[in-house]
Amino acid sequence: MAENNESRSSVEVIEKGLKQTKERIKPRAPPFPNICNPVSVLEYAHAQKLRLWSFVMSLACVSWALLQIQTILTNILKVGPLPEHVSFIMDGNRRYAKSLDMPIKSGHEAGAITLLNLLAVCRALGVKTVSAYAFSIENFNRPQEEVDTLTSLLAEKLDEVARRAQDCNSELFGLRLSVVGERSRISKDLNERISSVERMTSEGDSMTLYICFPYTSRNDIYHAIYDCAEGAKYHGFPAAQIDEAFLGNHMMLRGHSNKCDLLVRTSGHTRLSDYMLWQVHQNGHVEFSSTLWPDFGFLEFFRVLLRWSFFTSIQRRRESKRLLRFHTVSRLRQTLFSQKPKHVSIEDLPAPPQAVSVAGRN
Amino acid sequence: MSKIKERVLRAQDEGCKRSHRDEQRVSVVTNTTRESGRPRVADVKGAVGSVLLSPSDSEAVRKKLESQTGVWGKSSGKIEYIFYKILLCVFYMLYACARYTQYYYNRAKILILNLAYSPSNTPQLIRQDVLKLQKLPKRLAAIVEKKREGDVGGGVSGVLNDGSDLVAWTISAGIKHLTLYDFDGHLKRNVDDFRNSVHHKLTKYYDPSNVPKFAIRIPQWNKVYFNAPGQEAGDVASKKVAIEISLLSNRDGRETIIELTRTMADLCAQNEMQLSDITMKLIDSELTQLVGHEPDLLLYFGPNLDLQGFPPWHIRLTEFYWEQDNDQVSYSVFIRGLKNYAACKINVGK
Repeated sequence: MAENNESRSSVEVIEKGLKQTKERIKPRAPPFPNICNPVSVLEYAHAQKLRLWSFVMSLACVSWALLQIQTILTNILKVGPLPEHVSFIMDGNRRYAKSLDMPIKSGHEAGAITLLNLLAVCRALGVKTVSAYAFSIENFNRPQEEVDTLTSLLAEKLDEVARRAQDCNSELFGLRLSVVGERSRISKDLNERISSVERMTSEGDSMTLYICFPYTSRNDIYHAIYDCAEGAKYHGFPAAQIDEAFLGNHMMLRGHSNKCDLLVRTSGHTRLSDYMLWQVHQNGHVEFSSTLWPDFGFLEFFRVLLRWSFFTSIQRRRESKRLLRFHTVSRLRQTLFSQKPKHVSIEDLPAPPQAVSVAGRN
Repeated sequence: MSKIKERVLRAQDEGCKRSHRDEQRVSVVTNTTRESGRPRVADVKGAVGSVLLSPSDSEAVRKKLESQTGVWGKSSGKIEYIFYKILLCVFYMLYACARYTQYYYNRAKILILNLAYSPSNTPQLIRQDVLKLQKLPKRLAAIVEKKREGDVGGGVSGVLNDGSDLVAWTISAGIKHLTLYDFDGHLKRNVDDFRNSVHHKLTKYYDPSNVPKFAIRIPQWNKVYFNAPGQEAGDVASKKVAIEISLLSNRDGRETIIELTRTMADLCAQNEMQLSDITMKLIDSELTQLVGHEPDLLLYFGPNLDLQGFPPWHIRLTEFYWEQDNDQVSYSVFIRGLKNYAACKINVGK
């Protein structure tokens, strides 16, 4: 019982933290402008508009209606083709914070909330694998303060995701979490925390989430090559049998390494920045969006998915060689009149007409 | 570690001899049809048909459909399912209409840009365009693809022509390294034709008596060719070239990395190499020798970005540029790519 209470209080703490974050990234009332300066008046109007907008959005009925619409749209997409592996490059958190005159930390927090929302959407859709680029090895070159912020944010969010993954009422129930990357670069304390969260969620089977934390694709390929060589040396695996699938299985994303169906990169840069090079370069679809990551909402994600789904169904249609009409008829027959084929025995059949030979009576 | 390089090259040569026909390329979903930017009625019909008729990818939906029992429960679930499918089809049609309009808008834009930027075989114009830019990429890469045999600029000769156009523009812009990638390796296999074609193109741009010198490198076979056939440079002075062109194909991508892995694994197993010798630096230097350097800017001349298996190790920080709904190798895309590169901010990790 005490344990239960404890877990509930920790839930409350997390909920409170989330609420505070949301409160913090809400636009504040701007100072009254200098009327003589048209630029500042315009800025004031813009800020007020944002405030009004966020107020309307926060109304209970509006958010309820939006949620319903979102559910319907998700249900619609769900019946079509779906990508197996969706990946995000979460770029633009700092610019977002700067544009709203907020500390960088709240930008990253807003980004984390966006990721959680999109994860819920992916889970509802039935996407099997999602990965996100949280931190690059090169990011260690950033100011120490920011690195610390990002690390502590990850730890916080991991706990929250783990809690949600185990709460059967939550939209993220059954999620399996895995943090991949150069784990030796992060502190021992955090490593243990990550491992415990991974153990907690290892039973999940509805969706796999890979958080790439200190990760770069080249590092990933390098480790795969190293592991293959090690396997050949110590486990006697014949070197000649190493192929694409084998190398892919030694990468950090294991079985999902050879294909990433959809990669979304926000904030307008058209480069991969050392992420998912191996997965995307063959025939993965990369979607570049100029929205900053915290602004990347459901509607935009819906548009991206609709586009993918549309072209995928065209492709599938081209691949399937069967005639459409034939297919339709057989399908219709199956769905509308789906009777089980009756088993008949030959004795039940009516007797055939009398057999007469043309040659004669015999 | 020249031993590694040698072995990988040898293995690749054998691989090339073994299979003459490269495997069929699977293009990215948005580029499957020939004019995929402009959805035709047949395409929309196909998409709608395939959505209506094929079962959903989502396991949850399938399970729900199967698990419902009882007459009413079963049919209501089905009605809901069909309702959503029909709505999805409506969305597809709406999307196709939007795409159709966007396609014509983009095409009109490209047409106007093509009129605005037309080098008409004059290097001075190209150099003037480039002089306005803040910075240029050191290494440029471009993906060219073979179009259908019957089309304008189709077939292998179309690829050769596109490639030599790019060479001429790159020389005129003052960029020293160009990487040309085509999936099936048409440029590589017809390297003599390509050299002739480049030479011919350069005589159109420059004084025929003093054509810029060029070197063509084929990393897969570890060969370097100078100038057009019959004009190979013998002495050192004429080996100073205006441009170095590398020809890559699908084999330089994943296959090279896998071959490298095999070689290293083999060497380790036979104790000719220590495991600790395998470092990021070694792999990088080997792949640089085997394939080339990482390009700064990658141009693609198709309607949607499709990397087609470009060597994965080499696109780490490469900037991509492509013009949506464009389908030809044109100067306007080239110069706009350079402009885009000049404007972009490079911040590794920061």
